[in-house]
Amino acid sequence: MSGGGSGPPPGLGAEWQQVLAIFADEAEDLLSSMEETLIALEARPDEERLRALFRQAHTLKGSGSSLGFQALTDYVHGAEDVIQALLDQRLAVGEPWTSLLLGSVDHLRELSRAAVAGVDQLGPAHQAHLARLREGGATGGPSTPPPPGVLPVEDLPLPVETRAAARGRSLRMDVERLDRIVTLTAELSIARGRMTQFLMEAEASSASWDEALTQQREMDSLFHALQEEVMQVRMVPVGPLFRQHLRTVRDLARDQGKQALLELAGEDVTLDTAVLEALRDPLLHLLRNALDHGIEAPEERRAAGKEACGRLRLRAVHDAGSVVVELSDDGRGMQRERIKERARELGLVSPSERLRDEEVDRLIFEPGFSTARTVTELSGRGVGMDVVRRDIEAMRGTVAVRSQEGRGTTMTLRLPLTLAVIQGFAMGVSDQVYVVPIELVQECLELPVSQRTSEEAGMLSLRGQPLPYLRLRTIFGLGGTAPARENVVVLRHPDGIVGLAVDHLQGDGQRVIRPLGRLFQDAPGISGSTILGDGRVGLILDTPSLVRRAIRRAAERSDYQPGEAAHLSDAATRAPTFRDTEQ
Amino acid sequence: MSDSIEKATRTNYLSFMLAGEEYGVGILRVREIIEHRPITRVPGMPAAVQGVINLRGSVVPVVDLAVKFGLPPRPITRWTCFVIVEVNLDGKQTAIGLLTDSVSEVLELGSDDIETPPAFGTRVRLDFLLGMGRHDSKFIMLLDLDRLLSVEELLSLTTAAPPDVSEPTSAPEPVPAPAAASEATPGEASGNG
Repeated sequence: MSGGGSGPPPGLGAEWQQVLAIFADEAEDLLSSMEETLIALEARPDEERLRALFRQAHTLKGSGSSLGFQALTDYVHGAEDVIQALLDQRLAVGEPWTSLLLGSVDHLRELSRAAVAGVDQLGPAHQAHLARLREGGATGGPSTPPPPGVLPVEDLPLPVETRAAARGRSLRMDVERLDRIVTLTAELSIARGRMTQFLMEAEASSASWDEALTQQREMDSLFHALQEEVMQVRMVPVGPLFRQHLRTVRDLARDQGKQALLELAGEDVTLDTAVLEALRDPLLHLLRNALDHGIEAPEERRAAGKEACGRLRLRAVHDAGSVVVELSDDGRGMQRERIKERARELGLVSPSERLRDEEVDRLIFEPGFSTARTVTELSGRGVGMDVVRRDIEAMRGTVAVRSQEGRGTTMTLRLPLTLAVIQGFAMGVSDQVYVVPIELVQECLELPVSQRTSEEAGMLSLRGQPLPYLRLRTIFGLGGTAPARENVVVLRHPDGIVGLAVDHLQGDGQRVIRPLGRLFQDAPGISGSTILGDGRVGLILDTPSLVRRAIRRAAERSDYQPGEAAHLSDAATRAPTFRDTEQ
Repeated sequence: MSDSIEKATRTNYLSFMLAGEEYGVGILRVREIIEHRPITRVPGMPAAVQGVINLRGSVVPVVDLAVKFGLPPRPITRWTCFVIVEVNLDGKQTAIGLLTDSVSEVLELGSDDIETPPAFGTRVRLDFLLGMGRHDSKFIMLLDLDRLLSVEELLSLTTAAPPDVSEPTSAPEPVPAPAAASEATPGEASGNG
């Protein structure tokens, strides 16, 4: 069917779109499975896997041809030939063939998306690749590996939107859950009706407050159940995101002349879809970093007494109301001497400063820090771990690193289960209200009289321990004068504890988080907003960035700090407003 | 001249007062007008971006255009209100509240009622203007919301910035400018005024 898409059967507009959407989903799933199978095959050839691969290809061919996608069907057929030849042992399972087939998977992805968008035809690169597939499939014996080389991935003349929309903003949902939501909604509306009636008759029947509260509680519990179900809809397993990287790791390692295998664990751990989306880039960055800086070349690994093939392990576990995602490698570990050297060059630490190992490790999260000697395709462009940290902290997560020289590095990301709701602690300054996640709050205390100033920061003693604190009124430039009694909210922080001096405490409650939108995405010290009980908007504080800013400001003032570090001296020459120093 | 053709080219504008001057925006861009309510200040923002308000559960940024045009903030009165407009911020339809001293009226203007603004003398930078609407022997500044309310423009102004030296000294310079013209070129010389 040259040049033609297969149009919708007459009179089937909307239905045809639905059929296409189902095909698109199915094709995407099948191709991902094929990719996984191929990578597994490469690690350990096994007939069962080959058969699975054949079945996957065959299913794809079937559904493609049932919709009349001739070009796609022909192409899958070519791939099937090769798989058949591998099954018949006419070809030996190994790198050249898996690479060729992985290339076909890429092409098939393009082709299926194109077909859905109405363009069912092969481009020159597809045809060339198909020819090689056919040649391979026709081989009688184990011979002629396909010429190595990078496969040109060709973009069909597609409407741009279809590619962008490939990572759709749709979600699959359990029908049982939907039913439960419908039931709860119905119950809630009945309860609401009763409440209305109760209120209307309240005066005449001289009902008591207790009765009113009972009515309200009934609605409340229904509402919470409904909220719980709705929130659950947003939870998706991490597996698909993790599995995408099987291929990434293989291909990136190969590009660098290294060998590496990614192992996955905890694929069924679920996360809010927004968290998962926000995890995508940082995770890719960490993987690239591990391959670039961690995993050594095969010779180096053998010399160190390790297997030639490096191992990366990506693991997710639930832990106390959050999800921990851990990436460990068995590479060379962090080279602390080089990190220290680089930190001195950048003026992040003074030459005389003695650092503990953990402190050295944390330096990699400083802005602009990179020890890569050369800029590679993978990483080392100077934008690195600081971006990862910023992204993770932006969703109220934390990053930690653990490393053993020669043995490998483990990056631990701790993420909130959801971005949509937090248990928040509210505090007021002037007429503004700020909220922090309750799990960060350790305790609250009244600010001693001796500390009544309008300084930006100060320090007080908490049971003999130093407690540095920040005065939000001054930091946020709210003006006005503090009331007679100020309070300090003591927050846990990765590096210890930190206090926030505020006017009054408002206590905790469940807060639905509202994004602040594009305009405020760089607002320093603020991570989001929430609608307060009185209808106003409260801001959710980003404590790590507040603390970082305070540290930077302190460093600018202190004497020993060499002014060479670009970001420090730069900030110091400009007006020391909040905005400037943060950026 | 046929009446129907006349009608077809006429457009409705909502006009409002800002620091004593009348401005207009295309009515199709206006989503609603709401009375003043407490603003939550977002730290680190330029003075013109006053903060956010709650509009039925959505968090909507509010902007004081007068501050953006370099005028001092004015007291809140019982006529102060927010005109909620729709703009495209980096490809996303976003509601933004414009703080106005009072809303005046809806005007219907034909193309011959709209003058090209002069090269200088307006309080608003020329590229923020669609034109000047003539109405009852006065001019209403018709604002180009897409230019005025882009992310760059909203974030660009800083409080108490010195007059922007990067702005090339252009036409108005040699003319002995009357009071209003002093604001002409650097529209972003904003802040405390």
